[in-house]
Amino acid sequence: MAPIIELRNVYKRFGDNIIYEDMSFAVEAGETFTIIGGSGMGKSVCLKLMIGLLPYEAGHVLYRGKEVGEMDAENLRELRRNVAMVFQGGALFDSMSVFDNVTYALREHTKMSDQEMLERARECLDMVGLGYDKDILYRMPASLSGGMRKRAALARSIAIKPEVILYDEPTTGLDPANIERIGHMIRKLQKELGVTSIVVTHDMPIAWNCSNRVAMLWQRKFPYIGTPAEIQANPAPEVHEFINGIYHEDQD
Amino acid sequence: MSVRRPFEYIGEAIRAGFDWAGGISLLLGRSLIRGVQRPWGIYDVFSQIVALGIRSLPLSTLMGVFVGMALTWQFGEALMGFGAKNAVGSAAALALVRELVPTLMALTIGAKIATGVTAELGSMKVSEQIDAIASLGADPIKKLVWPRLVASTVTLPLLNIYGNVLALIGGAFIADLVFDVPAEYFYETYIDELYPMDYISGLVKSFTFGLLVGLIGCYQGFQTKFGTEAVGISTTNTVVATSVAIIVFDFVLTTIFLPVG
Repeated sequence: MAPIIELRNVYKRFGDNIIYEDMSFAVEAGETFTIIGGSGMGKSVCLKLMIGLLPYEAGHVLYRGKEVGEMDAENLRELRRNVAMVFQGGALFDSMSVFDNVTYALREHTKMSDQEMLERARECLDMVGLGYDKDILYRMPASLSGGMRKRAALARSIAIKPEVILYDEPTTGLDPANIERIGHMIRKLQKELGVTSIVVTHDMPIAWNCSNRVAMLWQRKFPYIGTPAEIQANPAPEVHEFINGIYHEDQD
Repeated sequence: MSVRRPFEYIGEAIRAGFDWAGGISLLLGRSLIRGVQRPWGIYDVFSQIVALGIRSLPLSTLMGVFVGMALTWQFGEALMGFGAKNAVGSAAALALVRELVPTLMALTIGAKIATGVTAELGSMKVSEQIDAIASLGADPIKKLVWPRLVASTVTLPLLNIYGNVLALIGGAFIADLVFDVPAEYFYETYIDELYPMDYISGLVKSFTFGLLVGLIGCYQGFQTKFGTEAVGISTTNTVVATSVAIIVFDFVLTTIFLPVG
């Protein structure tokens, strides 16, 4: 079966800073694929390439075999209807209530009634553990805590029922219970709805417990890709040191 | 090496200027193409008109009244020397309607609007909200740029009309109080001096300034790099770019309209 998302020999740079050089990997439909790697190496860039938010200099970024970089506005709109992204800081729209945030994509892509959108918003907020607060729909993002903002952003991304969800550090800043909740949600979406998840994270338990495969970014490529067990057993010192958080003073 | 460097700086500055102008033109083109497509986003446009226009009313009021008073006082003093203080209405009318109200309104209210837009969009860019709009399948140019562009282009001419009325009132007040020229007489000579083309030239100027203000505000906001410091830099650049653009376009439009008027 053809992969749902494939990056082939991608070359990406910001000015003189080369992010990817001949980088390749593929994600199969229905799997949870986790990307790990050091801070500032360009893990989030990878997600933005997949939905056409950033251009790439060379290579191929393919969604269901179609080149993302060559998509016109209508095709990009369709791509983003099917591939949702959860941003690192949540990126909730400050000027809109939580309800308007969560239903944003529904208003863009569907003709659902207000009542249907309300029910869908409540359902999504329940899934991310914000359903207990009955007034949350009418609150503004500024009045939410960091963790609540992140979970509301998750609710926004799942509202449209996408087939792929890109998570950019979904658990950063959350307490252990909510980290577990997000992990449970990723597994549930995969199991019950067959959602493909691509997760960028520094949270190793999430990587080991939620993923079918883990890829580690190293020197502008993904040389280490495998099941969580394979990655944990990988003898390469950079993999071993990264996943175990080993720090050498001489690295400073 | 030392001889080459100044030329390199000049070359870089010219290239940056062309890049900037190209980027602004591209944004205008994209906004016009996408803005006229359905849905028109009328609600967004009106909420921006309210946000940019209504909130500028207090400053516009101050601007209009004080410019009218100051200019009338200046002209009154000069004309008294020739024993022609009764002509103060005629003298003030052209300067205010054709030049001072549209230009000063654009430099103050316009700069306020542009910096507000840059700060808002810059913050959205830094916090990835613009990327989020795109990732949800919406068009950030249609959602963010188009309403602000239309709103500033509509708002500045309206505020110009409002400012003209207040400048006339301020001028009449000073003419009566300081120079003993009755307010009714000031009003009559003021209005008699003006032809339709004078009003049109003032409105064309404020329409152009409104477009420039909206465009520069949005462009600088979208160009914001990373971090909160970048928002400050973008906002400062907006003030400079807006002021320069208004002054240059004011001169260009004046040369176009003067032979006609």
